[in-house]
Formats: sequence, structure tokens, C-alpha cells
Amino acid sequence: METMQQPHVLRLTEGDVLIKSREEDCSRGGTHKLGHSECEEVNPFSFTPQLIHLHRDHELFEDGDIHRHMYLQDLYISEADDKPALSVSEFACHISGCSAHFSTLDEYEHHYNSLHRHVCCSCRRSLPSARLLDIHIQEWHDSLFTILAQSQDMYQCLVEGCGQKFRTSKHRKDHLIRIHTYPPDFRFDKSKKDKGTREMKKQLQKDTAMEVADDVCESEGVCEVMCDVVSDRPEQGESMEMHVSAEEAAPMAKCASTGEHADVSTAAHEPVFTSTKPVNPRSSYRVPTTVCFGHGSVRGFRGRRGRRK
Amino acid sequence: MWRLNKVRHKAGRQGDSLEELRLKRRDHEKALRQARRDRQLVSRRLLLSEDEDQPDVFMDTAPGEQDVVCLFQKLKHSGPEREAQLKALSKALRDPSARLTFLKQENGMHLLVSLLTGSNAQWRLQAGRCLHELSLSAHTSVAAACLPATTYLLTYLSGQSTKFTELCLYTLGNLCPDSAVQDKLLAQGIIPALASCIENQRHNLAVVEAVGFTLSQLLQAKDAAEKIIPMVLASSLPSHLLSVLTPDPNFGLAPAIECAWCLHYLTCSIVDKRELLAHGALSQCSSLLVSLGDAIAVGNKEEGIELLVCPLLRCVGNLLASCPVGDLNTQVCDVHLVVALCALIQAYLQTRPALARESAWVLNNLTAHSSDFCSALLSFNLVPGLIQLLPFSQGINTLILRVLANVSHKKKFCVQLGQLGLLSALCATLKMTDQEMVTLSLDILFMLVSSTPQLAEEFERQGGLSLLEAIQYNSEGEMRRRATYLLEHHLLLL
Repeated sequence: METMQQPHVLRLTEGDVLIKSREEDCSRGGTHKLGHSECEEVNPFSFTPQLIHLHRDHELFEDGDIHRHMYLQDLYISEADDKPALSVSEFACHISGCSAHFSTLDEYEHHYNSLHRHVCCSCRRSLPSARLLDIHIQEWHDSLFTILAQSQDMYQCLVEGCGQKFRTSKHRKDHLIRIHTYPPDFRFDKSKKDKGTREMKKQLQKDTAMEVADDVCESEGVCEVMCDVVSDRPEQGESMEMHVSAEEAAPMAKCASTGEHADVSTAAHEPVFTSTKPVNPRSSYRVPTTVCFGHGSVRGFRGRRGRRK
Repeated sequence: MWRLNKVRHKAGRQGDSLEELRLKRRDHEKALRQARRDRQLVSRRLLLSEDEDQPDVFMDTAPGEQDVVCLFQKLKHSGPEREAQLKALSKALRDPSARLTFLKQENGMHLLVSLLTGSNAQWRLQAGRCLHELSLSAHTSVAAACLPATTYLLTYLSGQSTKFTELCLYTLGNLCPDSAVQDKLLAQGIIPALASCIENQRHNLAVVEAVGFTLSQLLQAKDAAEKIIPMVLASSLPSHLLSVLTPDPNFGLAPAIECAWCLHYLTCSIVDKRELLAHGALSQCSSLLVSLGDAIAVGNKEEGIELLVCPLLRCVGNLLASCPVGDLNTQVCDVHLVVALCALIQAYLQTRPALARESAWVLNNLTAHSSDFCSALLSFNLVPGLIQLLPFSQGINTLILRVLANVSHKKKFCVQLGQLGLLSALCATLKMTDQEMVTLSLDILFMLVSSTPQLAEEFERQGGLSLLEAIQYNSEGEMRRRATYLLEHHLLLL
């Protein structure tokens, strides 16, 4: 067997397989807390144990059949002679628009922690630390800040512990360069008005566009898309604030292109998930208002305060 | 005869180096795979005779077409050298083109048939060998040319010479993939003949093996389900096949292998399996699997044993798919079957992953609707081992996860599953590329946290919330919905 790059997904085609599932009560709604309103949504979980019948020509039987026939023809391959390659599942970042793949969990974790945490809910920028994220949100998305900044020194020094504040971001930048020897093009200190032009071009792949809930964003104008970072892309002048761009706009790897694939389906239910038509460019996905990444010490997407209690 | 002992180190009938043999095998394998995809997978079996024991003997003269013609001419005249000439002819007929040449000779087949049916026993045998060599041809015209002989071959199945019977069986088995031959044989009652043969000769395991082979050839026919299987089920063959399943330690695995494959072809082709179940097919196959699994678990992996394990797994898997749940406990008496299946998965994971996958499939069918077998997985402490299989792709981990989902579905087991580390395993599987793995993982997570609040807390402690929040940004709507539902209804409310 050849080594496979991608995990092989075994799907049992509807036509090939006779599946019987029991009349189980599938709507396990779970327990509802007192006071919690009756779920508006239908329980999306539909797993039921399934008996799987495989017909003679099913692909799952292929290797065994071949082995049998090799034996009949006196070409038996013993275990000593045969070294099939065992495949291990890959991991993938599932964030819409990010199509990064990893062979180990560590790589995944590193990717996720580096690029998808400390992400601003409003504009999708990823910052390297919670502090910088806080500062970003404050300076970019907080209208109160904008107002106060007109009459007070609001722009904090980025260096933790310094404590100084400045009237404009330019002043802060000068301070950072002079006092803290920061590079003049420090990537995590873009001022808002810089962001406009360059990133407009980046606004791509509508098919992964995530429409942000409107209230905060309107004032900032265009919001960038969450994209894939894979390569380092230091384009000069470009904010390195992790506009992980959707490269090939590859939709999530479906792993579905080899051999016969279809979905497990029961007599009564729709397939659990269908291999999809590409995401409709028009149907963008709204950030759920109720949930934001990070609560307590876990920092994820920030900026959307107030989760449903 | 147990072929592997004889054939294993033999590099075919010509001298091949090891490398040549490997190449030959690889080519054959490729051809077989393609044939299977085309639904044209057919094999023919060569019956080795005593004088085959010198594969390294090269022929002094290459068997050429010249020889065949010459021999044929000589054979037309009866004489003391006839037997030797027949032997020489059968050797000559090993060559594929020689076969065609022979059949082009006028009355070639006619001569063979008359020798086959004559009064000289040796000539019968040798003529039979010639026919056997002819039957190995993949050429469609050859099978048709052999039609005149088939009636006699069939008749001889009820004869007393077991060696000759064996020869006739393999020859018929090689010929019957041809539809003209098959129709004729069916009309002439090959099924009852095979049934009688296996019954009368049940102590002669070489003959039993041959019957098994021939039957397996018939059962692989395209329209076997309509034309052949009903007759087989109506005969005594199923019970005989079942009685041969346990391998004889002296004779070897071969008869059991053939009969097991017959049972597999029967089982997967018929929809209504009640008759087979009534014969005790499920209980026999499963108890045999238990003993084989136990042996393999302690390292007794006899060479070729997987040729028997494979069809047994398939029989059990498909019979389980049709067995009413209420009857499960009577049909599969031994709960140890779960142990055996897990042992098979572990034993074959690295060397024959497809077999591991088939074992996992059977485990799914076993645990789908049976609380007892799910409970057995836990009481035999098999779950940690299964969890460790979750990294392995190509269908293995999806089936294993399905098994774990089957267990989670029975709410009472959720706490235990949580204690065995299923939650942290899910934290990994939720990040896999394979969508089916992610979906199943979400399903299991739902079943665990909705039935057991402390598991929800545990999941949170393991950092699961941020995982789910990430899934809320998944490109698949189904995933997003599930993650959101879990967060809103079972996790964030704590």
C-alpha cells in the first residue's frame, strides 16, 4: 500500500450499504437549565448506532480479496515480505478561511496559538498578546477612546511597565523608537488610517467572508477577512497583524476525492454532513453575538463582550 | 494440501530470483486490483501433483508448439508409450500458446475426452491432467473448447478415486467462471453433486478443500444470487461448510479457508439471512473467531491464518447486520468476541491494516445495538486500547470512533468512558482534518456532556471550550451549529 498523504476517508455509499438503525429516540435534547428558554434551535445531533452491511464488491473488502486471490495463484505474500504503510490522520485548522494542515498535534497547537488567539472579533486581526489585543481594541474599536483621545493622552506605550501615555499614536511611535529602540516599522503598531488602502486589495475570497456583526464595525469601514497564514508574508508597509489570507481559498479539505465516497445515511435521516457545494459567497457567517473566544484567562477572540449568562 | 508449505519458497515453475518474484507479485497484484474494480476478479488454481516437487527442474526442451503437435500425432496411436506421451503433453500444455495450438488440432479435445472416459485408469488420470492444464488458461476460447469434457468431469465427482476426484474438481472450478460452462454445469446438477461429494468424502480433507474451491468459484459468479445461491441454500452444503470450519491441525488450514470463503460469498449476497442464522452460522463463525483471536493474541500467528480470519470476520460482520438484536445473545454466545476482535485489530494493525479495519467494522456491528457487548468492552478494559488507535487513518479511526460512539450512546457508560480518557482523546480528534472524525467527535462529546454534567466540567478543565469556540468558525455549517449548540446548552451554563 502506498503511503497516503491525506487520510483516507471511508464512506459507505448509500447504494452499496444496507444500513439499519434502530428506532432510537434521536432527539436527545439534553437537560435544560432552569430559566433557560426552550431551545430555539433543533438539536443538531443525530448520531445513532448503525449496523453496516457490506456487499461483496465493497472497497473495504478489496485488500482481503486481493490477498485471497494471490494465495489461489500461489503468489501468497507473507507478513515478512510485505510492509504496508500505516497512515496517520492529519490535523487541520478549521477556522473558516484557514486551510492549514499539520501532521502533529503540536504543530496544530502552535499554529492556533500563534495565529488565532488574541484575535479581534471586530476586524479579525490577530495580535501576539492579550495586552496588544486590548490596546488594539481600545484604540480601534472603542468610540469612547476616540472621544477621550481628543482631549487627553490616551495612547499607551506598548512596553509593559512603562506606563507613559501620549496624545497621538505618532507621539507614541516616536517614544517607542527613541526610548525603547523599537523599529520604525513595528508591525503591531499600525495606526488606523494606515490600514485602509493596502488591505483593501486583500479583501478577497468572498467565499470565506465573515460578516461581522454590525454595531462596532461600521465606523471602521471595511473589515478584513480571516485567512490562512501559511507563508510568512512580510510585505512591506503591510501590517503583519496576521491577515492570514485565504490563499488558494481552498475550502476545507474534504478528503473526498479518492474512490467511492458518500455519506453514511440512515433510512430515516439525512446524511450527517454532505459533501458540499462551495460556500455561497453571499451567505456570510455572522459572528455569533453571544459567544466570543476567550473568557477568563483564556484569550481568544476579543472585543465582543457580554456572553449570554 | 497446505499449499503454503509447498509453495512458499518456490519461485514459480520457472526459476525466478527473489527480486523477479517480487516484481511478478507486484504486477499480479496490480492486475488483480484492476480486475476487481472491473468486477472481473477470477482466479484459477493449479493442482500440484507429486511430480511437481521439482520446480527447479528445467525442461530440456522448451515446451514449444512443435512439441504439442508432435505429441498429439503420436497420441493418436495407441501404444505402450501412451502414458508417457500424455505426461509429456500435460507438461507441454503449461505453455499458454501451446494450449491454443493443441485446441486447434482437429479432434484434439475429442481425443482427450475419449482417453478421459476410456477403460485405462492411468490414461484417464493423465488425460485429466491435460484438461487441468488447459483449464488454467484465461483465454475465453479454451473454456468453450473444454465443454465436451465437463459432463464427464462432473460425473467423476461421485467416483471412488479420490485423487481423480480432486483433479476433476479443480478443473471444473477453473472452468466454471465461463458462463457457458457454468450454465451447463448447473443444468447437469453440479450443486447436488458437490453436496454429495463433500458429504461422502468428508474425511478426505483434500477433496473437501477442492469442493470448497469449486463452490467458491461458482458463488463468485455475477448472477450467483439468482442462479446459484438458492440451490446452494436448499442443499446440505451450508451445514457441511460450517462443519469444516475448524481447521484440522494435521492437515492444515486449507479446507477451512475454502469453506469460509464460500460462506462469505453466501452471506454477503443474500438479503434474508435467516436460514444461515438458523444453521448456526453466526455462532460457529464467532466462536471460531474467538479461539483464533485468543491464539493470535498470545502470538500464535500461524502463517496464512489471516486467510481464514478474513472471511470469518466478514461472515460475522454481515450476519450481525441482519441478526435481530433479541437473538444476539443466543447467536453469539461468547462475550469474549469483543476481546478477540480487539486482539485482531492490534495484531494486524501494522502488518495488515485492512484486516484491522475489517475487525473494527465487525466491532461496530457488535456494539451498535447491544448493551451487553458495550459493557463487555468496558469490563474487559478494552477501551484504552481502542482510544490509542484513534490516530490511525484510512478508515480505522472512523470505525473505532463509531464503536466508542456506540458505547457512549448508552448513557450509563458515559461516566466510565470519561474516566478512561475519552474526553482528552476527543480534544485531539476534534482537530483532525477528516470531517467524519470531527463530526463523530462532536456527537460523542454531545452524548457525554448531555448525560453527565461532571463530564462537561471535565471537558472545560481540559480546555475544550476554546476548541469548540474555534469550531464555531468552521467553514462547515453543520460543525458550527453543533459547536454552538453544545456551548449554549451544555457548557457555558455551568
